[in-house]
Amino acid sequence: MSAVTSSARASAFLRSFTIQGSWNYRTMLGGGFAFALLPVLRQVFRGPQLTEALRRHTEHFNAHPYLAGLALGAAAKLEADGCDPELVRRFKTAIKGPLGGLGDALVWAAWLPATALLGLIAHFSGAPPWLCVLVFLLPYNLGHLALRLWGFRTGLRWGHEVGRVLREAALGRRTETVSRAGALLLGVFAGLVCTVGPAASAAGLRGGASEALWLVLAVGAFVVGLVGGVRVWRPAAVVVVGAVVSILTVAAR
Amino acid sequence: MPILLFRVDERLIHGQVVIGWGKQLQPDRYVVVDDELANSEWEQELYRLAAADATDVGFCSVADARERIASWRAGEARTVVLTRDLESMLGLAREHAMEGESVNLGGIHHTEGRRRVRPYLYLSAEDRERVRALAEEGVTVSGRDLPGSLGVGLDNLIED
Repeated sequence: MSAVTSSARASAFLRSFTIQGSWNYRTMLGGGFAFALLPVLRQVFRGPQLTEALRRHTEHFNAHPYLAGLALGAAAKLEADGCDPELVRRFKTAIKGPLGGLGDALVWAAWLPATALLGLIAHFSGAPPWLCVLVFLLPYNLGHLALRLWGFRTGLRWGHEVGRVLREAALGRRTETVSRAGALLLGVFAGLVCTVGPAASAAGLRGGASEALWLVLAVGAFVVGLVGGVRVWRPAAVVVVGAVVSILTVAAR
Repeated sequence: MPILLFRVDERLIHGQVVIGWGKQLQPDRYVVVDDELANSEWEQELYRLAAADATDVGFCSVADARERIASWRAGEARTVVLTRDLESMLGLAREHAMEGESVNLGGIHHTEGRRRVRPYLYLSAEDRERVRALAEEGVTVSGRDLPGSLGVGLDNLIED
């Protein structure tokens, strides 16, 4: 077995950040995948063989962009091990669906809205604008960098047998945890908006009894989120709350 | 419990099947009928990842499926049967084993020699022959990607 050199590995990982760069309806991530894998293919193949290998990898492929590195790492290992191209193709075909589904649920539907809520909460708690932006960008990006790195390394290590590790990683359960944290944040956010936002002062809701009422509502939202989990918590909820707040704010002026 | 859905889809278990059809049909079990996958542990592991945790996923060869189809019909579990090509589905339907059932063509993609019927459905002359053979086995064949979308009838599928 010929291992992937560390420079080819590093280069492929860096290139994986541009994996959506040539996205199109026919091959989707195909071009980006081949581009990212090229340093590894160059290490393994020469001349017409290299062209042929590159052509194979430009074929249709799709996955969540942050998790595509897992397939990339695995393909790198398989190619470096000199596996049959048919095995590589079958692997890429089988992993498309899970990587897309798991990634969409974890990142777009849970991690992104949850971290965005952190920033909104910071804003409504009176934090300066730069801090609000930082409170969103820092955790969001640390999360996706960690996910990319984990995926690429896991793929490189396990090759086509990565399915078992993916199952043990229980991304579905993690997604649920993030979603529930999101439900909590949404409750806190709703409470904050109603008690300290401009809408609250406009509606004369500040102080005493009404603040307690909103606190109760916030706690209620949190509990509903905990019990209902992903079924009640949807990114759409953020949009709805955002829209209501904007309307109230505008109306108050 | 009758089998809820027979579907031909190259992607097997994926978003359209799990969310699109799964939400409506509420299956307890997906059975993938494929000779190659029935013997490939690592591929089964990958395809299983795409299904919801509570849903069972089984793999079996065409020959096994022919023996077990009666017990799936008689059993309690709400079952969706998937193949990734027309050949396996036709193998299952031979000798009127699927008489009266409906088959849904949900994803056969472009390759050399296949002609577009729908964006999700490309058929070659050979494929059309298999569709015709399925119909002759007493199966109602139609093309449809999602439960809510407008289907394609047999006539449109097999016209040259």
